[in-house]
Amino acid sequence: MNRTPPSARVALRNLLIVLVITLAAGIYAYGWTVTDIDLEKPQDEQRQTNVQNALRELLSPRIFEQDRKIITTTTSFLMDCEGESPAAPESSDDPYVRVTPSCGKAGDVVTVEAFNFESGVQAGIRWAPVEGQRRPREVLETGRKEIIIDSTGDFKGQIEVPRISGSSGQIHQIEFLASIPSGPVRFSKITDEVIRRMAETIFMALVATSLSIPISAALSFFAAHNLMRPVRVPVGNLMMAIIALPIGWLIGVNVLAVIGREAINFFQGDLEVSVLSLLPIIGLGTVAASRSVVLLETPSLSHRLWAIGQQLVFALILSLLIGVIGGLSLVLGERLVDFADSIRPDNNVGLGNWLATAVVDGINGTGNLLNIIGGLIELSMNSIGGLIGAFILSSSVTNLTSGMLRSIAGVPAHLLGGVMGAINGVLVFAFVAEIAKSAALLSLLTPLAAALFAQQIVVLGHAAWRARQKKVVLSHVERIVRWLIALAAAATAFVITFIQLRVGRTVIDGTLPSLETIDIMGIEITLYLLNAMIIGGVLGSVFGLLAGTRQPFSIGNVLYNVTRNILNGLRSIEPLIMGIVFVIWVGIGPFAGVLALMLHSIASLGKLYSEQIETIDEGPIEALKATGAGHLQTIIYAVVPQIVPPYVAFTMYRWDINVRMSTIIGFVGGGGIGLLLNQQINLLRYRDAGVAVLAIAIVVSILDYASATIRERIT
Amino acid sequence: MLIIENLTKIYDNGFKALDRINLEIPDGQFVAIIGLSGSGKSTLLRCINRLIEPTEGRIIWNGVDITAASDDEVRQIRRHIGMIFQQFNLVKRSKVLTNVLSGRLGYTNSLYSFLNYFPKQDRQDALANLDRVGIRDQANKRASELSGGQQQRVGIARALMQEPELMLADEPVASLDPATSHSVMKYLELLNKEDGITVLCSLHFLSLARTYAHRVIALKGGILQFDGLPTEIDENRFKEIYGEEAIEVAIS
Ligand SMILES: Nc1ncnc2c1ncn2[C@@H]1O[C@H](COP(=O)(O)OP(=O)(O)OP(=O)(O)O)[C@@H](O)[C@H]1O
Ligand SMILES: [Mg+2]
Repeated sequence: MNRTPPSARVALRNLLIVLVITLAAGIYAYGWTVTDIDLEKPQDEQRQTNVQNALRELLSPRIFEQDRKIITTTTSFLMDCEGESPAAPESSDDPYVRVTPSCGKAGDVVTVEAFNFESGVQAGIRWAPVEGQRRPREVLETGRKEIIIDSTGDFKGQIEVPRISGSSGQIHQIEFLASIPSGPVRFSKITDEVIRRMAETIFMALVATSLSIPISAALSFFAAHNLMRPVRVPVGNLMMAIIALPIGWLIGVNVLAVIGREAINFFQGDLEVSVLSLLPIIGLGTVAASRSVVLLETPSLSHRLWAIGQQLVFALILSLLIGVIGGLSLVLGERLVDFADSIRPDNNVGLGNWLATAVVDGINGTGNLLNIIGGLIELSMNSIGGLIGAFILSSSVTNLTSGMLRSIAGVPAHLLGGVMGAINGVLVFAFVAEIAKSAALLSLLTPLAAALFAQQIVVLGHAAWRARQKKVVLSHVERIVRWLIALAAAATAFVITFIQLRVGRTVIDGTLPSLETIDIMGIEITLYLLNAMIIGGVLGSVFGLLAGTRQPFSIGNVLYNVTRNILNGLRSIEPLIMGIVFVIWVGIGPFAGVLALMLHSIASLGKLYSEQIETIDEGPIEALKATGAGHLQTIIYAVVPQIVPPYVAFTMYRWDINVRMSTIIGFVGGGGIGLLLNQQINLLRYRDAGVAVLAIAIVVSILDYASATIRERIT
Repeated sequence: MLIIENLTKIYDNGFKALDRINLEIPDGQFVAIIGLSGSGKSTLLRCINRLIEPTEGRIIWNGVDITAASDDEVRQIRRHIGMIFQQFNLVKRSKVLTNVLSGRLGYTNSLYSFLNYFPKQDRQDALANLDRVGIRDQANKRASELSGGQQQRVGIARALMQEPELMLADEPVASLDPATSHSVMKYLELLNKEDGITVLCSLHFLSLARTYAHRVIALKGGILQFDGLPTEIDENRFKEIYGEEAIEVAIS
């Protein structure tokens, strides 16, 4: 019990408040020093003129251009007054120029007057000797060479007579050059360029956003706590599935991918034959699909086998179909490009031809897109086959063994768990170590995984002990003790793995683990991988022994945490930094920008989407589960209708952000208008840069408005 | 026949919501479950279709041990157990017809579900079931546009799509006014009488239980407090179930 008298407590609290405020003020003051705030600099006169000039030019964008004609009006000047000075020109209503006095020597100051010019005209004065270079003269009053004729249409200013040797007695000309706009006003070259770059920018944002939508939508389900939390599978089933994954991958790569590639090659051939031979495949697929659900009260083994057979057929057909799509995309793409070439008009003069060119460009673009899709499928056929194989095999194996696993209980279940756990540990750690060896920071993954395992082992061990004691209620103290032991176990596992795998060297030196290999029964394996696998095997077997095969495992929580952390990590990297990496990878240009924006959009849309899922009404999910609907069906009918409107709204919002970002991603070489802006700024062409800035401002505010309106409509 | 043996549920936080419940419910009975808020009514109902995993005990329905069923088997069993909820649990943005059809998902090929397709027979049945609960004309409205009573009837139609043999109703009328409550309860009564569907219905008002139920079960703090005929509940029993200070109010 706290028995401090109230007044003392109040005093203590006040003291605390004062302390906190002082501390906060100190931190804030430090912030000022660090940010180098200096009130002198903005007052420096030179800097002020600089910034004024830059701003003036930025705010005077060179949107329009007009050709200019130079009109030269001359008057004569006698050097050194040796002879008769030229007569002053007669005054008239036409433009004319007068110099007084009309003779003099080098260094003299003479007055030049110009009459009857248009106000606002730009002009300049040049000294034209009899022979040799003409020399632009500075107007002494302003200290500048440019002259702007004022509203009277006249000009009066003083210049200095230049020093030109051996010119005594010669008559020189003083030229008054007026630059007069002539011809039609038109958009400047930079405006043309800005419009083209702006279109590129908008499309970059469009492509990046649209590519990221399906990926982040899929990820968002895994990053939604409410959907993932209840997903549990018995440990035994999970371990079976994991064991089946690499085998399925190998089968997929060696069988399914080969089939897919054959399909690509076959369908790349003759279009007509291909389309015809497609029919039986479609038919077969439809039959398989419509019969793929076996609705039985209690599935017997033969029914399970039948279902698995169907899954295998499904895997084959799926690989075949993907191959077919790839092949057809390639051949169709090529044909479209050829077709576009064959009908391309010779020129795009006139509206008709211009339109035709646009259509042909469209066809050509579609062909190229198909080619890219086909190429992508061809490139990734191995992974596609592997994924399909891994997925189908592991779901089949789980299906087939779940009955058997359920019938095993007691000690055998724990022994089986230990064996499978060891295999799983080896596999999981091989996978993690494979990732971990690619960079110093990633090398921490293996010790972290070991720590996680150790912590889980403590939790399991505790649960087993509690079951033995027939204890139900978990006391507060017990919880804390368990937490401490888990922490200690995790730290131990971390340290052991850290030392064993020499992670320290990797982190400090930035070098990757050594590729020293040893030979075990004819299989060559790096020592690093072997060590990781041994650690995994040990941890896995302990885990499996304790868990047995029947315990439910929150696989949903694991998936949730992994997805969330990856998304958060990605989101914390600015697209500009991603842009730098992609520029290194794919070179300067819009493609790099698209990739950077896409990656960042995936992360942030994934997060935003998943937050939407977390706020949905979960009642319908429960109701549909109660009707006997499957996971996927529940998501399609209870979740999707609820999230479509916010997804559309957030996608609009993201597109808006992506347009903004793509305007600057060019600064690191990511293409779009930023590239142009960067060039103009580096060349100190602020008036040209101004056009780009203006364009950005216009487009961004239009989009801002549009996306806000659309979002309002939907929600 | 639904047999509940020694059913115990302890939540993850250690709270014991059900304590060794034993029940035998013959087919075709209309059973009301009453009890104070927090007495474990919802937990009991959700254990029966395994929306909540029981901690101990067995639930045997028509000779099948529900508590021992695998995930796949649970889904097969759930198809025959309808459920309606206090908050109706409809997808508000979807059409009434879609909501009703979704009761059929357990019987539908997942690939069809991807394409949002239901067989013609199912569509006809959905309309027929809406007709049965008297709101066929609302089929194409959004669920959110319906009144509470109508929404609960959509919930009943959705459950009917499953062709259930057992209907779990978790306070189906707790958010409805008295008149609407009766109309919804009448539909449950109808299903019980016409289709012979066993009904397990948790209720807040004893008067409703008296009107509609063949049998009343009372829970108190997770323990089975009373199991008998509605007429057997006199003032003393009532005070046992609801506490000393409670007075019975009727819903007219
Ligand atoms: N997920 C959960 N975790 C922990 N405790 C829970 C959980 N769900 C319910 N409980 C507790 O279990 C007890 C029984 O809950 P249940 O919902 O079954 O009561 P009920 O009789 O349906 O009450 P009501 O009339 O308010 O719906 C309550 O005290 C509740 O706090
Ligand atoms: Mg309840």
